[in-house]
Amino acid sequence: MAVLEISGISKSFTTHLSLGRTRVLNGVDLTVEAGEVFGLLGANGAGKTTTLKTAVGLLRPEQGSVRLFGMPITDVRARARLGFLPEQPYFYDYLTGREFLDFYARLCGIAPSRRAARVAEMLARVGLEDRADRPLRKFSKGMVQRVGLAQALINEPDLVILDEPMSGLDPIGRREFRDIILELRRHGKTVLFSSHILADAEAICDRVAILRGGKVAACGRLDSMLSDRVRFWEATLSRVDPAALGVPHEKVWQRGERVAVRIQSADHVDALIEEVRRLGGTLRSLVRHRRTLEDLFLGEVGYEAPEKPKTPAPEMPPIPERRG
Amino acid sequence: MMIGTRLVVGGLLVALLGTGAWAQAILERWQSGREIGGQLMYLPNGRYLKVASFGYAPLLADLIYLWSIQYYGTYDREVRYDIVEHVYVDVIGELDPLYSDAFLMGSLILSVEARAPERALEILDIGMERNPEDWILPFEAGFVAYNQLRDFERAAGYYKRCAAIPGAHPVARRFHAEMFNRMGDKQTSYAKWLEVYETAEDDFVRDVAYSHVHDLRIEIDVEALQAAVEIYRENHGSYPASLKALVAAGLIQALAVDPEGESYTYDPSTGEVGSQSKYRLWRR
Amino acid sequence: MDKTLAIAANTFREAIRDRVLYLLLGFALLMIGSSIFLSLLTVGSREKIIIDLGLSAISLFGVLTAIFIGVGLVFKEIDRKTIYTIVTKPVGRAQFILGKYLGLVMTLSVNLVVMTIGFYLLLAYEGAAYARLLPAVGLTLLELIVVTALAILFSSFSTPILSALLTLGAYLVGQLSWSLRLLQDRLDPGIGRAVCEFFYWVLPNLWRFNIRAEVTHAVPVPPAEVGLAVVYGLAYAALLVFIACLCFERRDFK
Repeated sequence: MAVLEISGISKSFTTHLSLGRTRVLNGVDLTVEAGEVFGLLGANGAGKTTTLKTAVGLLRPEQGSVRLFGMPITDVRARARLGFLPEQPYFYDYLTGREFLDFYARLCGIAPSRRAARVAEMLARVGLEDRADRPLRKFSKGMVQRVGLAQALINEPDLVILDEPMSGLDPIGRREFRDIILELRRHGKTVLFSSHILADAEAICDRVAILRGGKVAACGRLDSMLSDRVRFWEATLSRVDPAALGVPHEKVWQRGERVAVRIQSADHVDALIEEVRRLGGTLRSLVRHRRTLEDLFLGEVGYEAPEKPKTPAPEMPPIPERRG
Repeated sequence: MMIGTRLVVGGLLVALLGTGAWAQAILERWQSGREIGGQLMYLPNGRYLKVASFGYAPLLADLIYLWSIQYYGTYDREVRYDIVEHVYVDVIGELDPLYSDAFLMGSLILSVEARAPERALEILDIGMERNPEDWILPFEAGFVAYNQLRDFERAAGYYKRCAAIPGAHPVARRFHAEMFNRMGDKQTSYAKWLEVYETAEDDFVRDVAYSHVHDLRIEIDVEALQAAVEIYRENHGSYPASLKALVAAGLIQALAVDPEGESYTYDPSTGEVGSQSKYRLWRR
Repeated sequence: MDKTLAIAANTFREAIRDRVLYLLLGFALLMIGSSIFLSLLTVGSREKIIIDLGLSAISLFGVLTAIFIGVGLVFKEIDRKTIYTIVTKPVGRAQFILGKYLGLVMTLSVNLVVMTIGFYLLLAYEGAAYARLLPAVGLTLLELIVVTALAILFSSFSTPILSALLTLGAYLVGQLSWSLRLLQDRLDPGIGRAVCEFFYWVLPNLWRFNIRAEVTHAVPVPPAEVGLAVVYGLAYAALLVFIACLCFERRDFK
């Protein structure tokens, strides 16, 4: 059952001096199914935030429609099951964390008898229970993000929409956020978030969509979009002359004694190890490269890598061997 | 900051202050002769100012009033009296028609400072029209008419108007009665004073009224008797021997006694009628 | 309704923290207090000066407060994006605007009460604490209710500076709409008169809330007139807030 259906939405904005209009969204179609974690990816300015804002009703699309749980977004009942955290949120900084959440609990129509308990529960969930009585103006960025998540979850929404939730967080914060999202999925909630940190998306999303040019350029299950086929293997060798290797390879770089080579086929891996032993060299590392999300992303957004120089990399002075 | 920089900055500061003060002092000397308050005459008509005041007209009236008092209150320079009506009637009077103080002040300036009592009364007339319930305006007008114009009839009219206003000071009625006396119409004055006496509610008023009634009665009687004596002389060629002769001659009905019960005195040689009882009021 | 009140209470809390409020309140009390000294300069009724200055201060600073705080109210929310998380909750946009408006009216009422208390303390000292002045203060509150509605309306679609100018302009014109009648009389019958009539009804007739001159001079004002002025004020303000809600309903938050 589709929780969120965005069909063919277009949106343009007038430029600053009202001299023209820029088309930001040009017919975006997106469907988020119940119980999944959906990642919306795209370069800066691709329209991720615009899409999410249209999904929650902050913007009205010029064309197309948005339906939440089968209802239009303007319906209050739809919003009762929705939680939203905007990008770089800013809240009333004179309220304490507790007062802040109590205010939002009231807005969600939670009965007075249950409010205090729900607020305490949310504070505990995001790990702010012991700092809840400080005014928000004294919160660090990570704490603001967490209290923001708390307000998004305060009404136990079935769909949670997050706009760049992990931007500006340190690795600990990012990890915690990821865990919370996964926990939400475990409880059967649906999460839609936008990001340009691919590692996060790769780690937790079930499905992703990549926005380019105001349209969805690619969309689907992550594991099917990234083929499991290994692209290549990369081995770092020392004291081996690559030319002497009897295995088809491509030299990637050479620094003094060390050289990195790529081999395309898995079948040649064993042969490579043999060859290195035969030549009396050392295999320092062997890494398997799958097609990453980054590859997909760059490819989809039309990233052209600059031309590799034809001349080989300059010879670097030998790195002294480590003692002991 | 280094000591050198500090000196420079300090010096600059002193120089700026000095220049400013010097310029101010010179301007003060040049401009002190000019009439700053005279700008009152350039105030636009109150009806336009009312618009410009955006609903704060009474406050503006107050401020202009205070300004005008400062202007007319100084004695160290010439002030203009030809603008009094403009200031108090056209400007303040339009901004706040119920502001009696303005009419009073205007009339005061005109009657006392400018010695133009007619103009003062004109201002008060306008004030009375706009504030028919304010007794102080006709009261003041009565005083101006009495004291400066010596127009007792007009004064009487003002005092009558004043006395008719509920809450007016009761003395207005007494002044009204007295004005007839000053006009020479003792009979009417007597009648009015008698009314005051009979309707007096406290001893002081009763006492004052009695004094007037007493003295007027004597004056009226003495005059009447004196006139009768003269007629007797006309008819008979000589003064009568006594006042009783007047009764016999049919010139008076009966011989009156003064309010204290004493009979009136008569000197047959001079024909002068007098009173035994003293007048109660000093000016007699 | 509870949601609207929650927003109103929050708005009140926010407005109370605004330093501009206290600055203006301070100036108002200063102006009221200075009336004692000013009244020493007068010849004649000292009371009149004190009463005029006091009532004018309450009105003037009430309006300035309404404008200064009111125009920032909605704009700040949009500019700082605090509104994003509110409008996406199950709260109607009209409830938001209404809550903001009520919160502001509460703030202004408290402000008015403080100024009035200061005023009456001064009057009591001078022996002039007349009860007849209270209806003037009451109608001033209505004037503020209308001006606040104007501020909210303009603030829901334009920047603070522009809203402030528009609201101030509307206030000034509202004080003078009686002169439209005078203008009308001087014009020849036709389109000119119709235009005057139109503007007379559309613009807020704020001078109807001004009975300061009457109470100063103890001229009695019929209670029926005061009552109708109250009804007019509330109806006009409600209309403005309604329009503000409609504007807000259709708004995009970039």
